[in-house]
Amino acid sequence: MGLLLLAHLVAAVLAPVLVRWWGRSAYYALALVPAAGFGWLLAQLSTVLDGGTVDERTTWIPALDLDVTLRLDVLALSVAALVTGVGALVFVYCARYFEPGDEGLGRFAGVLMAFAGSMLGLVVADDMLLLYVFWELTTVFSFLLIGGSGAKVAGRRAAQQALVVTTAGGLAMLVGLVMVGQASGSYLLSEVVANPGSGPQVTVGILLVLAGAVTKSAMVPFHFWLPAAMEAPTPTSAYLHAAAMVKAGIYLVARLAPGFADTPGWRPVLIGLGLATMLLGGYRALRQYDLKLLLAFGTVSQLGFLMVLLGTGSREAAAAGVAMLLAHGLFKSTLFLCVGVVDHACGTRDLREISGLGRRLPVLAVTAGLAAASMAGLPPLLGFVGKEAAFTAFLDGGLESRTWALLTLLGLVLGSVLTVAYTARFLWGAFGSGGAVRRCAAGEPKPAHLHRPGPAFLAAPVLLAALGLLAGPFSSLLEPLVAPYADTLPLVAEEAEELKLWHGLQPALLLSLVTVLGGLALFTGRDAVARLQRRIAVDASADEGYWHTMRGLDRVAQTSTRSTQRGSLPTYLGVILTVLVLLPGSVLVLHAPWPDAVRPWDTPVQALVGVVVLGSAALAVRIRQRLSAVLVVGVTGYGVGVLFALQGAPDLALTQFLVETLTLVTFVLVLRKLPKDISERHRAKERTARGVIALAVGALMAGVGVVALGARTATPVSVDFPEQAYSFGGGENIVNVTLVDIRAWDTLLEISLLVVVATGVASLVFIRQRTGAVARATGDTRSARGRRAPRDRWLAASATLSPQRRSVILEVVTRVLFHTIVVLSVYLLFSGHNVPGGGFAGGLVAGLALVLRYLAGGRYELGEAAPVDPGKLLGSGLLLAGTTGIAGLLLGVDALQTTILERTVPVLGDVKLVTSLFFDMGVYLIVVGLVLDVLRSLGAQIDADDEHDEDPDPAEGQALATTAGGDR
Amino acid sequence: MEDLIRVLTPLPVLLPLLGAAGALLVGRHPRTQRVLSIVVLSGVLAVSVALLVLADDQGATSVSVGGWPVPLGIVLVVDRLSALMLVVANTVTLGVLVFAVGQGMADGEETDTPLSIFHPTYLVLVAGVSNAFLAGDLFNLYVGFEVLLAASYVLLTLGGTAGRIRAGITYVVVSLMSSLVFLAAIALVYAATGTVNMAQLAVRLGELPAGTQLLLQSMLLVAFGIKAAVFPLSAWLPDSYPTAPAPVTAVFAGLLTKVGVYAIIRTNTLLFPDGALDDVLLWAALATMVIGILGAVAQTDIKRMLSFTLVSHIGYMVFGIALGTTAGLAGAVFYVVHHIAIQTTLFLATGLVERRGGTTNTEKLGGLAKASPLLAILFFVPAMNLAGIPPLSGFIGKLGLIEAGVALGGAGPYVLVGGAVLTSLLTLVAVARVWGRAFWRPRAVDTAEEDLEAIRPAAGTSATTAQLQENRLPRLMVAATAGFVVVTLALTVFGGVLYGVADRAAVDLVDRTPYLESVFGLQVIR
Repeated sequence: MGLLLLAHLVAAVLAPVLVRWWGRSAYYALALVPAAGFGWLLAQLSTVLDGGTVDERTTWIPALDLDVTLRLDVLALSVAALVTGVGALVFVYCARYFEPGDEGLGRFAGVLMAFAGSMLGLVVADDMLLLYVFWELTTVFSFLLIGGSGAKVAGRRAAQQALVVTTAGGLAMLVGLVMVGQASGSYLLSEVVANPGSGPQVTVGILLVLAGAVTKSAMVPFHFWLPAAMEAPTPTSAYLHAAAMVKAGIYLVARLAPGFADTPGWRPVLIGLGLATMLLGGYRALRQYDLKLLLAFGTVSQLGFLMVLLGTGSREAAAAGVAMLLAHGLFKSTLFLCVGVVDHACGTRDLREISGLGRRLPVLAVTAGLAAASMAGLPPLLGFVGKEAAFTAFLDGGLESRTWALLTLLGLVLGSVLTVAYTARFLWGAFGSGGAVRRCAAGEPKPAHLHRPGPAFLAAPVLLAALGLLAGPFSSLLEPLVAPYADTLPLVAEEAEELKLWHGLQPALLLSLVTVLGGLALFTGRDAVARLQRRIAVDASADEGYWHTMRGLDRVAQTSTRSTQRGSLPTYLGVILTVLVLLPGSVLVLHAPWPDAVRPWDTPVQALVGVVVLGSAALAVRIRQRLSAVLVVGVTGYGVGVLFALQGAPDLALTQFLVETLTLVTFVLVLRKLPKDISERHRAKERTARGVIALAVGALMAGVGVVALGARTATPVSVDFPEQAYSFGGGENIVNVTLVDIRAWDTLLEISLLVVVATGVASLVFIRQRTGAVARATGDTRSARGRRAPRDRWLAASATLSPQRRSVILEVVTRVLFHTIVVLSVYLLFSGHNVPGGGFAGGLVAGLALVLRYLAGGRYELGEAAPVDPGKLLGSGLLLAGTTGIAGLLLGVDALQTTILERTVPVLGDVKLVTSLFFDMGVYLIVVGLVLDVLRSLGAQIDADDEHDEDPDPAEGQALATTAGGDR
Repeated sequence: MEDLIRVLTPLPVLLPLLGAAGALLVGRHPRTQRVLSIVVLSGVLAVSVALLVLADDQGATSVSVGGWPVPLGIVLVVDRLSALMLVVANTVTLGVLVFAVGQGMADGEETDTPLSIFHPTYLVLVAGVSNAFLAGDLFNLYVGFEVLLAASYVLLTLGGTAGRIRAGITYVVVSLMSSLVFLAAIALVYAATGTVNMAQLAVRLGELPAGTQLLLQSMLLVAFGIKAAVFPLSAWLPDSYPTAPAPVTAVFAGLLTKVGVYAIIRTNTLLFPDGALDDVLLWAALATMVIGILGAVAQTDIKRMLSFTLVSHIGYMVFGIALGTTAGLAGAVFYVVHHIAIQTTLFLATGLVERRGGTTNTEKLGGLAKASPLLAILFFVPAMNLAGIPPLSGFIGKLGLIEAGVALGGAGPYVLVGGAVLTSLLTLVAVARVWGRAFWRPRAVDTAEEDLEAIRPAAGTSATTAQLQENRLPRLMVAATAGFVVVTLALTVFGGVLYGVADRAAVDLVDRTPYLESVFGLQVIR
């Protein structure tokens, strides 16, 4: 079986190729695949009829009990034979249904083949989850087949509707299957049905499974998708929406009935919905003009019939159900195929525009007539046998309660009356001589241009109709197929009736007579019926209900999205902070163990600094001037630096001060391009809300800090740092050893972060290119003002600045200090391992030196001071640091592990070199690169843009607008 | 073996960093940069696969970087979960890189886009992501996050158009906020326990009063909740992701939120195994799923729609975590793997849609199924996968979560199962609409054809319009996307193997001892 399924898959993939090669005739070749399946099923007949099963098992996802477990028993075989047999014939039919040049033939063939395989898999699956897999696959392929090329809006809507409705049921079913499977300890249908289990989980589970079954099999109130699906080409309708897919729900009910028919709710749901569907479908079929729609509503009706029979859960009803299932598969696909032929022949399916086809296409008329007779339940066809069996079942038994059995019977008879009536309407409309309305003028007789179907086109329907005809008289041959399954259900009637054509003069025959006469009467009085239909339009509401639900969904979606997705950053931040206040905040209030004693500070100076920091933070919120606000924010940073110093951490303090300074410089560079004042557009209410949130968050953080610090009982890991730093890390400066050795891995990543940030700043300012030449004052470069820098003077490029921007004092200071600062930075780098300093601080100091050069001498001076590509600096720094990381691995120790080299060098004396120094040099380079990148982009480039603004020069064109946008 | 793991473990971080250094140094040679990046990421992927094989074979192992003894230095820990995440993440990063290279070459990147920005930044992003998965140290995890976030800031604003800058501001500020909360939480954790080594934290946190534990856990949860985009901390995501270039959005959507999910899994299992916040997580998961998917239904733009499904499906993973059972965690882990692959695939496919149709707005698109059947397949298969249509991997993950929810039972899990199923249906509605509008519906005015006429006035002589349009999709981009579709199908076919790994990973997570022993050896350090 697995191989068969695989064959379908392969054929589906190959189908488009085959169609490209052989055109529509490729469908003949493709028909071989389901035909092979049919043949294989026949070969298994003897095994299965002897009560055996064919089992296959391949593990797939054992952790979820989802395995490819296949099992062929007699019920599976009957349905599978229908699926493959009709499937093969539908492929044969397709080869002539489509015109040679039709578009999308390959796609259609592939999808149809994939569907055929999924349907076969559904029937032979024993693992319930696997059954669900195939179940949903049929849904998806049905979606693709209904939508077709997507050119028609009705097709797209119908496809989506069918998809949504059946998937909704399918998902309910999935949950149900899991519930049932877990309750009964197995996901195998065969085992679950044998040991069904009970309890609320099973009951709810089974009802959810039924939700899947009734949506798939188009029961009221979910039936509307099926008529809409008639947008699909006729072969699809014949196969999916008559013979195969819509039977899936019925099949599943039949599968589960032996174990679960007594579950509370099972019978009321299935019999109730089944009868309602049978009546409603028949009633609606009576008013259709499109032959296909007429058949579609007929299908809905018949599915209701089948659901009643197979949902009843008694032997006699089930036997009738299986017979009816086969009969319906045969006659309904025949009828659809015939309608396809009619459509081809006349170019329309509207029964008001067709007349006299019976005379012109006698073979077709006879074929359709036979199938229709089977549908109406006329002897000697299989449909008659099934319907007789059904009537007998409920006359003699069917349900334990006689009242309910007879009521059900009444419903079935009424439904059958409607069936006869719409069958008559179908035959009369398609083949009779008189269309009812004849809107189409007599002068436009379509049959004149009749497109006469060839024998190949007719072969499939003729064969199917003939089978229906033969199966009637020989229906006792079907008994071995029907009985083994039916026997798994309890017999309610006194004795089991065998399937046969002639049971003698029994009440059931009388009922058949009644249905035929009643149906013909309804047909004769069709004008009255039409009037009634106009007055009582049952059901149109279901379809509307669907679209109403979808519109409602859209409304809910839009409302919910509008309220949660404001598109406003302050709102998002407010929400985040509110969550922070609510979640940890409520824990803090409700559960937190507050420490007994709190030591607020070590020295009162800390409190003083704290007040300054808090005050400037508050001030920062109020100040409107951007520059002042930034300065005040800077005070908070310096304040924190002071706290570090008070705590005895000079390194941290130094670094904090340097970072703060550099940040201020950067801010100032950027602020040049921004309006001076911060605009205040927020209403008072918003400001209050923000104030409340801010204060709450502040209080929360303080509270959490107290609680967390008060909870400490363990010794911190850092107590070992001083000793370890020296003995293992070879340095006396713990902070530096921590950075470049103990936690060098953090540092390596942090410097790569710096690299990225530098790159990012450059990316925003130099939109187009990063690797451009460094703007230098010497050589051929001229300033925008036309001044040329003398080569030999220190700080020469300051000459390129306009006089009002130059500051003599700054230039002088810079001349004095620049080299000193650079030397200092190098000293910090090398001494860092033992005294305050290190690569980071050193790099920052060097960066500040560059800042000084830039401020004093302008952008050309910056180019003079550092005539390198910052990208190269960043790259080399990262390479250096990264290499020390990987070197450890190459040398057979851990990554980033350091080695201490101690040598006596002639001139320098004892030199102790820790390899982490190389790492620190990498840090140094990267920090310098970062500062340089910031200065070049936010400083020099913006200068250039400004000069450009003042003195437009198209040749130097930069994406000015985007740059300005970048700073916003 | 020990030695091999010791050497391999730091490489997923070190190699991309060195690659980034190299890419910066050869900034003027685009071709060298491309080759370098691809070689580096292939190497990282190979290392990741080797680590997964080793981890699945031997369980968790740890490596101390810098050679420092355990609670002092930083350890990297490779267990089944982290190795699995590494493999998936680096498959995605490599594939997206190929796509980006394809796009770059097609666009004539040498002159137009900042190549020297993209490659180094992208490689650093990879290093950050890898480090987040490997970190055995809470602060190092933070550093990993920061690195990947910093790189993502740059990538998101690539090209500096107004829309990207606006989106970037939302993204950067919200991310900084989450980092701030995370950093504060780390400080508090250190204040309370005196360590940031996660294995040691696992022991020491358990000794704190329950209230303090809860406080610290909830702080961390808020921080990770923002990164993972758990409702109501998720609104930033749909406002920022869709504006970035296609490959960037693809890798963000696939990976970045999942790093947050990974962090939630890790902290909830290793550091706070009591499940004290599971109920909160459960309802957050429900809200994330439902409100997220409603957002997706309301969208007309494919990228925005996908961003909302991204948020929504984070809810699935949180659901699995909130269940707290082995089955729930296994489902969550599998779903993470699936979702990384599928979101990336869909965003790449959408990138192709944008190229072909000129927009991702479904109101303007149309007729793509006819114009490019290949593109239609490349979108349809992952779209169905996202909607959890069986037998695709999305279904497998969903099934695992449903089974876990039903197995646990109780009102909460059942409501969540219902929510998960509803979300699945609405996801299908959302993608089916996109399919109907962009692929099936014929285009009202075939603007693409007009464009074509304008671009190649003389080309109509030999090739049909359809063929021409086919030509417009650069081969490498299509190949990369197709590769991803194949990967997602492989997740389906080999779902059993993968689910096995996820299952064993979940067992380890619940057990905790494999992790602790890998760091401490057999003795447990206070």
